[in-house]
Amino acid sequence: MTEPTRHPSRRTWLVLALVLVVVGATALVVGITGQRTAPQPAAGTRSAPTQTSDRPADSIPGSGSDTAEAPPAADVAAPVRVDIPAIGVSSDLMRLGLNADGTVAVPPLEADDRAGWYERGPAPGAVGPAVLLGHVDSAEYGPGVFFDLGAVAPGDEIQVSRADGSVAVFTVDRVERHPKDEFPTIDVYGNTDDAQLRLITCGGDFDAGAGSYEDNVIVFATLTGTSPA
Amino acid sequence: MRKALALPTIALAAAAFPLLGMSAASAADGGSYQADLGALNASGVTGTGMVTLDGNTATVTVEASGLLDGSPHAQHFHIGAEGTCPTDADDADDDGFVSVTEGAPYYGAIGSSLTTEGDTSPDSGLAIDRFPTTGTITYERTFEVTEDVHEAFDNGTAVLVLHGVDKDGSGAYDGDVMSDLDPSLPMEATAPAACGSFAAAQMGTTPAGGAETGGGSTAGMEQEAAFGIGAVALVGAAAAGAVAYRRRQADQA
Repeated sequence: MTEPTRHPSRRTWLVLALVLVVVGATALVVGITGQRTAPQPAAGTRSAPTQTSDRPADSIPGSGSDTAEAPPAADVAAPVRVDIPAIGVSSDLMRLGLNADGTVAVPPLEADDRAGWYERGPAPGAVGPAVLLGHVDSAEYGPGVFFDLGAVAPGDEIQVSRADGSVAVFTVDRVERHPKDEFPTIDVYGNTDDAQLRLITCGGDFDAGAGSYEDNVIVFATLTGTSPA
Repeated sequence: MRKALALPTIALAAAAFPLLGMSAASAADGGSYQADLGALNASGVTGTGMVTLDGNTATVTVEASGLLDGSPHAQHFHIGAEGTCPTDADDADDDGFVSVTEGAPYYGAIGSSLTTEGDTSPDSGLAIDRFPTTGTITYERTFEVTEDVHEAFDNGTAVLVLHGVDKDGSGAYDGDVMSDLDPSLPMEATAPAACGSFAAAQMGTTPAGGAETGGGSTAGMEQEAAFGIGAVALVGAAAAGAVAYRRRQADQA
């Protein structure tokens, strides 16, 4: 019996150490890069608004600059889809109403996360504040449809496809983040002079005890064009 | 005799057709109304009121700015008249103020007092210790309104009025003109500072508060398994390295 058979050699231990270092480093890199945090606009502040009136409303061929002449709600078909090219969002829209306590209902937490239209308000393209909501994430399924909403910037386009085949094009004016308990109800839901769109998701710190984020991220956008059906 | 018969008849009819009354109320269930405030008495006040009715439960939001800071501002739903607002030209007695008396033919009497706590009936109309006292008001409260107030929203005769205006710019309610409501108070304390008629809001029913649009998966630590494997592997690596080092020392010995 020689010593090396009774005990692993120094070389064996060294190789084992190296292998474990590689495995450990790889696992940590996977863990760290897998860590995702939703982009956050500054709290309580408004990103610089753009002069929407200066923007050409020709992003979709054949679109007219009909911002000032947005039709009444009854003439606008219900929205069925939203596209936000700047953050790669493309989602069918479900219909959302109210919870029993008067708060706005949100889409169910599903693997196939979709955004929704609050149907007790104006339709996108009608005069008034049309509202779309989507989750930032869910405990079970990870990032949600509006995970990157906080990265939307003034000037970005939002396209809302409607049941009659027409597409309403909105241009982002500003992105805000507000505590839910100081939700700017009148800014978000109050009357507007033209056709407006609000996209709402969650943001800020996560209150683990309440199972809820403390803030809402809100994108404000104005109708800048419509492509016909 | 006729009167005595008429009343029970009406009561019977109402009992027989309870759905009539209910359908009128349910048509307004969940409806939202907005009032855009215009300045009165050259107050410069601007603002907005929003009310969402769920039955007779009213969720009320008032945002206004340009008021005298540090002095109480009575605020009410006025009901029962034209559902409109006076202008500064309606100073009938030429005392320099549009008073509550002069505004009443337009906006009516107090239906609800938008107090910060406690009673919200017309009895609290001058409860100056329970009204906002800041120059910029952000008021939110949910309370029960009476049937006549609900009906005023339904038929377009509900008006939001904020009172208290420092017309002479002295920084306080003062001056020689006394209030038409309470002669012990200066007119500045009770004169309307802003007024707006409620009309159905573009938002058919305004949701209460914020939105629960997050379940929280990305808020904490993800990939916990990866972190676990990494930690165990690195501890193992350190142990193996230590053994190798000791063996090297043993070999050299």
